[in-house]
Amino acid sequence: MKLRTLFLLPARIWMAIFFAAPLAIVCAYSFLTRGDYGGVERPWSIESYTRLIDPLYAGILWRSLWIAALATALCVLLGFPLALFISRAGKRRNLYLQLVLLPFWTSFLVRTYAWLFILRDTGLINTALTGMHLIRKPLPLLYNDGAVLLGLVYNFLPFFVLPMYAALERLDPAVLEAAADLGARPMAIVWKVIIPVSAPGMAAGAVLVFIPCLGAFLTPDLLGGGKSVMLGNLIQNQFTTARDWPFGSAASIALMLASALLLAWVMRTRIAKEFL
Amino acid sequence: MNRRAFLLSAGAAVNCTRDRRPRLNVYNWSSYIDPAMIQRFENERGVRVRYGTYESNEEMLAKAVTGNSGWDIVFPTHSHLAPMARNGLIARLDHARLPSLINLDPRFQKPLWDPDLRWGIPYMWNATGIAYNRRETAAPRSWTALWSPALKGRITMLDDPEDVIGCCLLKLGMPFASTDERQLQAAKGEAIRQKPLLRAYINAEVRDQLVAGDVLAAQLWSTTTAQAIHASPNSNLDFAYPAEGYPLYCDCVSILQESRRYELAHQFLDFLLRPDVAAANARIADTATANGPAQTLLPHDAVLYPPDEIYQRGIWPPALPSAAQRNRDRLWTEIKAAS
Amino acid sequence: MRDRALGLYAGAALAFLHVPLLVLIGFSFNSSRFTIWQGFSLQWYRAAWSDPQLAEGLVNSTIIAICSAVLSTVIGTLAAYGMWRRTAPLVSGTLYLSLVTPEIVTGVSLLALFQWIFRFLRLPLGLHTVIVAHVAFSIAYVTIVIAARLRSYDRTLEEAAMDLGANEWTAFYRVTLPVLAPAIAAAALLALVVSFDDYVITSLVAGVDSETLPMVIYAMARRGVSPVVNAVSAFIVVIFGILVLISQRLQER
Repeated sequence: MKLRTLFLLPARIWMAIFFAAPLAIVCAYSFLTRGDYGGVERPWSIESYTRLIDPLYAGILWRSLWIAALATALCVLLGFPLALFISRAGKRRNLYLQLVLLPFWTSFLVRTYAWLFILRDTGLINTALTGMHLIRKPLPLLYNDGAVLLGLVYNFLPFFVLPMYAALERLDPAVLEAAADLGARPMAIVWKVIIPVSAPGMAAGAVLVFIPCLGAFLTPDLLGGGKSVMLGNLIQNQFTTARDWPFGSAASIALMLASALLLAWVMRTRIAKEFL
Repeated sequence: MNRRAFLLSAGAAVNCTRDRRPRLNVYNWSSYIDPAMIQRFENERGVRVRYGTYESNEEMLAKAVTGNSGWDIVFPTHSHLAPMARNGLIARLDHARLPSLINLDPRFQKPLWDPDLRWGIPYMWNATGIAYNRRETAAPRSWTALWSPALKGRITMLDDPEDVIGCCLLKLGMPFASTDERQLQAAKGEAIRQKPLLRAYINAEVRDQLVAGDVLAAQLWSTTTAQAIHASPNSNLDFAYPAEGYPLYCDCVSILQESRRYELAHQFLDFLLRPDVAAANARIADTATANGPAQTLLPHDAVLYPPDEIYQRGIWPPALPSAAQRNRDRLWTEIKAAS
Repeated sequence: MRDRALGLYAGAALAFLHVPLLVLIGFSFNSSRFTIWQGFSLQWYRAAWSDPQLAEGLVNSTIIAICSAVLSTVIGTLAAYGMWRRTAPLVSGTLYLSLVTPEIVTGVSLLALFQWIFRFLRLPLGLHTVIVAHVAFSIAYVTIVIAARLRSYDRTLEEAAMDLGANEWTAFYRVTLPVLAPAIAAAALLALVVSFDDYVITSLVAGVDSETLPMVIYAMARRGVSPVVNAVSAFIVVIFGILVLISQRLQER
């Protein structure tokens, strides 16, 4: 299969140099000791890993998993109907796809700040509700988990919609018509035909959302008011303020291992043999 | 393969400037210099200044530590000068090339952290205190004001371990830079006690909310408060320097060891020390300048320049040893993770 | 199919995606720099227009995004196809791992790599390092999208082509590739967006001359909400809106 080997070559080379090698460096860092002013130095030790078993960090991991899972579930629930609609929109499909992507040509930070405008005590929602005399004191919509979830879903929805759409796009409408002709009700068609067939796309999309949510730190920081620590915040802190690269590296490797295992498990149960 | 090489070289080609003038690469905090002053320096010396900005010392350090970041001049905060010098990141300054050094305010001629001014020239300084809304709350006299139950949900603290833990220590009457375990645990307890009353840990972005009246009391830098007051004169904002003491920070200008433009860098440092230049920069940055004569060129600002008896209460945080740093970081994580 | 209900829902979802944007654009016309409406003004647009940092950031971001999208789409599509022909556990495992790595770790690890490599080559950080970094994390996204599409592609089509005398390359190029075209376009778009929008990795590996738009905006936004940022966003949204319309027109032709 000479062609296949040739096709895989660019990816192999690129990932070897610019992903595997740097990762090996990070792995090495996790076994070293913190330098006086950041950076790393010998002696070699596993101290960074033993620090991870602390209940403080386990709690942080648990919380991050929970929020990421919630955000992913919301993206799937909200994104599936949208992707379905787009895949059936005929000639307008590309237009709708572009509309889904359009907000994301601006900076991620700007989009998060837009939510600050809306959710603040004197932001759009509270001003409107107060103006209509429905509430007397402003609702605390910002700086809590709900705001963080909203920010995550808002930012990562297209990451779900695009692969979902790519899988739904090849659904032959004739198959659906046939099912309808055979007497299946619309919901049954969705459950028994569309979802099973597009499951690979759904899994791909869910994965594309869950992973960045797990490692997110800008959103929890800006919309959560910095009052809680998610895994992403912890790691980012180690590489910046704390200047404890070995511990940050150890936490990152741990996070990656956990996510990789999760990934492997999902792949096994959801999708057929031909994937990994 | 060919296509990729072409694209890569195209990317590199864009990097090349057609400008033949000598270049100086200056890496500074954002909004910390008057662009017109950069222009003036360029015209006077016939050079081109490449100007970049950063938001935190850590960002700057991450680049400096690589040893090939490309920057010549950086602006570290005073507590970073000694560690950076120890790690060979910044170059020794040559006073012979800095005739305008006498312009420094006497308070900064022999600073605590670098008495010989060997590593960095003081540039701008500010303090951490309490920004508050004059109409809604009485002028705070102590850090305790930020624990006031009456202001629940309308208080913010800085998102910085040094400032928060230090302020808790001061509130308890303990030294700002304490490394005593029992004192630190007490400070941590204070911070966790405060969390239910706290709206957020937030830095300069809180300015908006102060002006809008969402936040009534914030631990904030004098610079940011001054900026808020100048931008919205009828916002009822004011700034208080607490009685227990408060941290002072001085941003200094240094030359990176990796720089190959030693001479030109010194000329830039000297340029910054000119009173008119320093005044222009301070005006744009809305910060207190370390330049003596420049202060006479600027309108007096009670927020930025506290009177002497208040200034004496200020504390210059030192660089902490490695173990103490780790301890503080762990405390910070515990505070943040507590519910 | 309850198409109307679906249509209504899609409308609501799209509104959800766009309302913050509209709010942003609305406030770009605010004459005050704070988020209380104080009158109509174009001053922020004037400020943005004359800001050289913003202009440069935009140019850099565009160059990086296009280069990175082209490279990663090519590499990723080829890789996805290769893995579809016969599984390559190491490659797919590495790609998945790259998805799972937190951005800060990717950024820091690449910085460390560049520190080592360039010490010998004496090359500083710059546009090239950013492009390289972006491609490294974009390939996985492209591969996932293409692979998802390929999973339901009929293998026998290529076999039929080869039975008719075509070699492997022609079978791919003439038969499979056209079918993949929409997915490739979708993947390229994703790579473009991911690259344009990246802040964390870029800020770590960018050099003196390679500030991107997110970096400039973040710096501005950290100093407090600046309507200049709103103005820039509004500008970008309008430009891409026009592009969307043009692309739609071309397709209807």
